[in-house]
Amino acid sequence: MESVKETALQKPQQPNTALYRTIWRWHFYAGIIFAPFLIILAVTGAIYLFKPQIEGVLYQDYYQVTPQGEKISASQQIEEAKKLYPDAAVTVYRPGESADRSSEVGIVNNDESLTVFINPYTGESLGELNSEDRIIDKIEEFHGELMAGTLGDRIVELAACWAVVLIVTGLYLWFPKKKPGMGGVLFPRLNRGKKTFRRDLHAVPAFWVTAGMLFLIMTGLPWSGFWGTNFQSMTTNTGQGYPPAIWVGSGPQSTIQTKDIADVPWAAENFVVPASDIQGFIRLPIDDVVSIAEREGVHPSYSIYIPQDKSGVYTLSAFPPKAQDEITMHIDQYTGAVLTDYRYDNYGWIGKMVAWGITLHKGTQFGLINQLISFFICLGIILVAVSGYYLWLKRKPKKDIGAPKTAGFNNTKGFFLLLIAMGILFPLVGLSIIAVLMIDLILIRRIPALKRFLNA
Amino acid sequence: MRKFRIRESNAVKKYIFMILLLSFLSACSLDENTAELYKQETPLKLEIQTPDTFTAGEQETIKATLTQDGKPADHADFVHFEIWKQDGTVQYGMEEAVNEGGGVYSISKDFDKDGLYFVKVHAQQGDSLIMPQKQFIVGELSKSDLDFLQEGTGRQETGQGHHH
Repeated sequence: MESVKETALQKPQQPNTALYRTIWRWHFYAGIIFAPFLIILAVTGAIYLFKPQIEGVLYQDYYQVTPQGEKISASQQIEEAKKLYPDAAVTVYRPGESADRSSEVGIVNNDESLTVFINPYTGESLGELNSEDRIIDKIEEFHGELMAGTLGDRIVELAACWAVVLIVTGLYLWFPKKKPGMGGVLFPRLNRGKKTFRRDLHAVPAFWVTAGMLFLIMTGLPWSGFWGTNFQSMTTNTGQGYPPAIWVGSGPQSTIQTKDIADVPWAAENFVVPASDIQGFIRLPIDDVVSIAEREGVHPSYSIYIPQDKSGVYTLSAFPPKAQDEITMHIDQYTGAVLTDYRYDNYGWIGKMVAWGITLHKGTQFGLINQLISFFICLGIILVAVSGYYLWLKRKPKKDIGAPKTAGFNNTKGFFLLLIAMGILFPLVGLSIIAVLMIDLILIRRIPALKRFLNA
Repeated sequence: MRKFRIRESNAVKKYIFMILLLSFLSACSLDENTAELYKQETPLKLEIQTPDTFTAGEQETIKATLTQDGKPADHADFVHFEIWKQDGTVQYGMEEAVNEGGGVYSISKDFDKDGLYFVKVHAQQGDSLIMPQKQFIVGELSKSDLDFLQEGTGRQETGQGHHH
C-alpha cells in the first residue's frame, strides 16, 4: 500500500490518522461511484450552457422572419397552424419577443408535441419541430435525468448530493498541514516526482473548482425532483419562496361557475343540447389575452398556455435570461380578470435567490461571460473527476480495490455526525448511507473475499 | 474491537434511521392557503342575466352583477355593454350601462330578430379589468347559427373536454 505509506510520510505526526483514513475512505468510495455521473453532468451541462447560440444556429430558418407591415392577429396565426393540423389540440402560443422573431404555436397531435413556427406577418408556416427531435432538449433530459425518467432524476440528485460530501471530505484531505509554501495547495508541485504530481493534479484543481462546483450543485438542486420539490414546497409555505403555481402547487381556477359556461354541441347529428346549455359564457379570444399581456407590461418573450378544460385559466409566463424579468400570470379564461400576477418582485427572498441561482446556473443571467465561467467550471469538474480516477488507477494494487483501510470509529464521531447531518439535509444521501451500512453489515462483513477486496 | 464496531454502527444506523423517518414524515406538501402569503389580486367577478323571454316590440334588459373581494362592486370605473347578433344584422356598439346600485349594471335593448346573440361586458373597478362574453338565444336558432356553433366546437373546446 504505497499510498498509505506516502500519506504517512507526509504527516509523520498525524494526530488523528483514524479520522484522516475514515474521511479518505468515504471520499474514495464516493468518488469511484459518483465521478462518472459528475462527468456526465459536466459534459452535458457544458453543452446545454450554449443552448441559445446552438439553437439560434440550428433553427435559424424557423426563428427568423423579415418584418413587413403589421402582424396578423394571434387567433389568425393559430388558425393557420390548425389548417395544417386540423385534429391537433393547441396548447401554447408564443408571440415572439422581437419584430424579426417568428411566432410559435404549440400543439399536441397524435400524442406528439409539435411546435409550428408561423411568420406573424404572412401567416405562413416556417415549418414544425417535434419536441422529441430537439437535440438540446435531449441534452437537458440527459443532464436532468439521464434519459431515465424519475429514476434518472433521483440518481442525478444523489450524485449531486454526494458531490457535496466529496467536496467536504476532499477539502479536509486537501487542507494544508503545517507545511511551508503553497505547493500542493494552490498550485501543483512539478518537481517532486510523479506520485506527488498525480496527487496535485487532482487536489489542486479540485480546490480551485470547489466554489464553482458547490455553486452549481446548490443552484441545481432546487429544481431536482425530490429534494427540489420538497425544498420548493417548504419555502413556498413560509411565504419567502416562489409564490404557488410557479414551481409547486396548482394555479387558480376561472371564476365562472360551470353551470354558467356555454356548452358547445360537437356533432351536428347530436344536436340535442337544450338552449339553456348553449347560453352562457364563452372563452375569451386569445387576442384579448395578447392585449392583456401588452397592457400589463409582460416581458415580450412570454408564452400563453391555453386552458384545456372548463375550469382552467390562461397562463402567461416568461422566463427570460435575467431573473428580474420573470413573470407568471393567470387569467380567467372567461372574464379576462388577472387572477394572479407574480413577478420577480413578488417572490420571497429565498425565491429571488433561487431564481438568480437558476439563471446563473443556466448561464443566461450575464450572457457570454456567465456562460464562459460556467463552462470552465464544467471543464474543471471533468479534470478533477478524471484525475481522481487516474490517481486511483495508478495507485491501485492488483489484489484489491486500493481503498484506504477502514479505521473504526475512534475519534471519528465528529465526522459521522457530519455525515448524519448531510443525511438529514439531503435525505437521499441519508438513505444511501443506510443502504451502504446495510450492505456492509449483511454482505461485506460476512464474505471474507469481498472484505479483503474492499479493505473493509 | 470488531464487535464493538458493529454495535457502534448499529447505534449509528438506528439514529440515522429515526431522524430520516421523522424528516420523511414531515416531508412537505403545499399548504392550502399559501397564496395568501404572496401578492394577491382582487379580480372582479360577475354574473350576467339575460331575459328568459323576449317580446317583439318591447325592450328587454340585460343585467350584470359585479362583485369584488366578496362585496358588490358599486363604484366601478366603467361598465360598458356591447351586443351583437351572430350574423351581424344587429349591432349595438359599446355603450355605458345604467348603474342600478348594489353592483348591478344594466342595459335595455330591442331583441326583435330571432337567433344567436352575444353580449360583451367591459368593466373596471380599481386594478381589475374584465371583458367577459356571453352568448344567448332569442327565439329559434337559424341554420347559420347552428353552423357557427358547430364550427365553434373546434375553436372553443380545444383539446379535451368533449363529453356528453
